[in-house]
Amino acid sequence: MSKDGNAGFIPTRLDYAVKWAQKNSLWPFTFGTSCCGIEMMSTLSGTYDLARFGAEVVRFSPRQADMLIVAGTITTKMSPVLRQVYDQMLEPKWVIAMGACSSSGGIFDTYSVLQGIDEIMPVDIYVPGCPPIPEGLIHAILKLQGVVESGGKRPEMHRLTREEANNAMSFRKDSDASLFDDSKPLKGQLK
Amino acid sequence: MSKLTPKLQEEQDRVTALLIEMFPGNRIDRDKNAEPVMWLNTASELLLAVKDLRIVTGLQMDRLSDLTAYDNVDGSDGPKRFVLVYQLYSMRFHTRVRLKYSVSENESVPTLTSFWRAANWLEREVFDMFGIPFTDHPDLRRIMMDERFVGHPLRKEYPLKDRQPFPDSLPVRIAARTPLSSGQE
Repeated sequence: MSKDGNAGFIPTRLDYAVKWAQKNSLWPFTFGTSCCGIEMMSTLSGTYDLARFGAEVVRFSPRQADMLIVAGTITTKMSPVLRQVYDQMLEPKWVIAMGACSSSGGIFDTYSVLQGIDEIMPVDIYVPGCPPIPEGLIHAILKLQGVVESGGKRPEMHRLTREEANNAMSFRKDSDASLFDDSKPLKGQLK
Repeated sequence: MSKLTPKLQEEQDRVTALLIEMFPGNRIDRDKNAEPVMWLNTASELLLAVKDLRIVTGLQMDRLSDLTAYDNVDGSDGPKRFVLVYQLYSMRFHTRVRLKYSVSENESVPTLTSFWRAANWLEREVFDMFGIPFTDHPDLRRIMMDERFVGHPLRKEYPLKDRQPFPDSLPVRIAARTPLSSGQE
């Protein structure tokens, strides 16, 4: 850059530099809810050393994270919390669904478990396994680096909005209005 | 299943013999771990038995390890719909006693929160999953499912895959005051 502020050639490569920086500093927000969380901790710690790929700075605030790793079973009661966390993350953001439960509900096809987090948020990478081995998560992060490098272009899929997520999280037998009606006594509640 | 140590077997035998002596009118079975399983017939009998088991020298069942229930829908354990299971443990003797008490649908059960404070959440769980009400319970609300949930999921008539998702997981009183946040993509 010259002294008069003329940009010269640098901005033409700035885009590339930003992507390179994003790709090599994917700060994870970890959402470990069950055994996949243990494998994720193992991946982050010394033996597998996720720091080699620049993704070791675990943030416990979604505002500071780039990458949401959902590791474990998400119940229907937890799903609004997870969506809230996703909404609080700043763009650009990426999501990894780690393990069978967060990808599809896994073995828990019951009254209380969300059948895959893609019902409530867009997912970039799915990691199969129950739980996946740490190499599986590392492979997913390397794949995600490829996604970041290709300009943040996501795989062809529908990206869920907050409204659609709210619809997915709403109980079909009851309308939204009646949920917030104070005068109506609640079924299943005593008194 | 691992075999019991002779000492523990001896203790469980002693406790069983004592129970048979104390409650001659009750049916007492033994399970594979040599634990006595005592069946109680009425609510007052349950309260009296618990009161005695806690303080009698040689028993001192001072801990409620678990309180649960099961749906006796096929009637294999008597004519009543549900069977409550109280698992007691003695810190002094390391022995266990199980109490079973049958209730019909909508029949209420006396709370044991005055004996063990641990019974509070366990009874809330049984209420949530089976819909068995507990009389004089200090705070009988659902503990696991959302407060707006309809039905009791561990009853056999509840459809296994009938999910009832809600757009927030706040307690009802707070949720009623908080509007849903709308599209901030």
